[in-house]
Amino acid sequence: MPKGEALGEFEYLVMLAVLRLAADAYGMRVRQEIATRTGRDVTIGAVYATLERLVDKGLLSAAISDPTPERGGRAKRSFTLTGVGMDAVNRARQDVASMLEGLEFPLSGGSQ
Amino acid sequence: MKPPAVARLLLIAMAGEHQAEFVAGDLHEEFLLLCAARGRQAGSRWYRSQVLRSVAMLLALRFRSGEALHLMAAAILAVAMPLLLLDRLWRFVYSNIPLKDGLQRAPEFRIVNLVCVCACAAVCGSLAHTVHRAVGVAVACAVAATFALWLGSSITPILYAGAVILAAPVSSLITFAWRKSR
Repeated sequence: MPKGEALGEFEYLVMLAVLRLAADAYGMRVRQEIATRTGRDVTIGAVYATLERLVDKGLLSAAISDPTPERGGRAKRSFTLTGVGMDAVNRARQDVASMLEGLEFPLSGGSQ
Repeated sequence: MKPPAVARLLLIAMAGEHQAEFVAGDLHEEFLLLCAARGRQAGSRWYRSQVLRSVAMLLALRFRSGEALHLMAAAILAVAMPLLLLDRLWRFVYSNIPLKDGLQRAPEFRIVNLVCVCACAAVCGSLAHTVHRAVGVAVACAVAATFALWLGSSITPILYAGAVILAAPVSSLITFAWRKSR
């Protein structure tokens, strides 16, 4: 992956949420998944901005489904990881794991 | 059950044409779930908060996709440019009348400006194909009119400025509605 295209922290979270949700990965569910698992108050705007950026980078692909009544008659856009996206997640996980190697958690001296 | 109307309109006006449907659909779905779980008031509060906190990012996304830039370019060419050209024309006319140079424009000149702005904005509105695009055009027309008034050389009375800024989007929306109804 060229320099500048490594996954940012939030991008990594969004990619993992898409991976976890599989066929059910669309904006609202991605937002809920991140909010539930991390406790962050994530906005739908932030999720869509990131999803769109990841699609532009070729890490995600999007598919549009038919409108449904529970969405006020609006269509849904679902996302899946591409091959490049899976490589990026693997690499990000490897980077984090190698940086964590040898460190002990929780760190002493923190507030929690 | 429908989400708060003002927040919904703001979302449609600010989100890009490509995103608005999906974002609005997602928020609508979660709004209904929240209403069922915590009541309508909590659902509405959550919806408004999501829209307000998402507006900047959705607008940035719209600019990135080029849609907002196209709208602004069209509105500047169609609304701001004629206003500025008229301003220069009236300035030239006044400069040729002894002792009139630099004075406030007569109401007749301002009426011509207003009619011109309404006509140009109406043309812009008639070219919009969807409600979402029409709202975007209306907002862009209002911004372009404000920009032109700010750049104008003459002193602008508040009433006239308000009329221009309001007339541009309203006439574009009216033309769109009229075209749709036919």
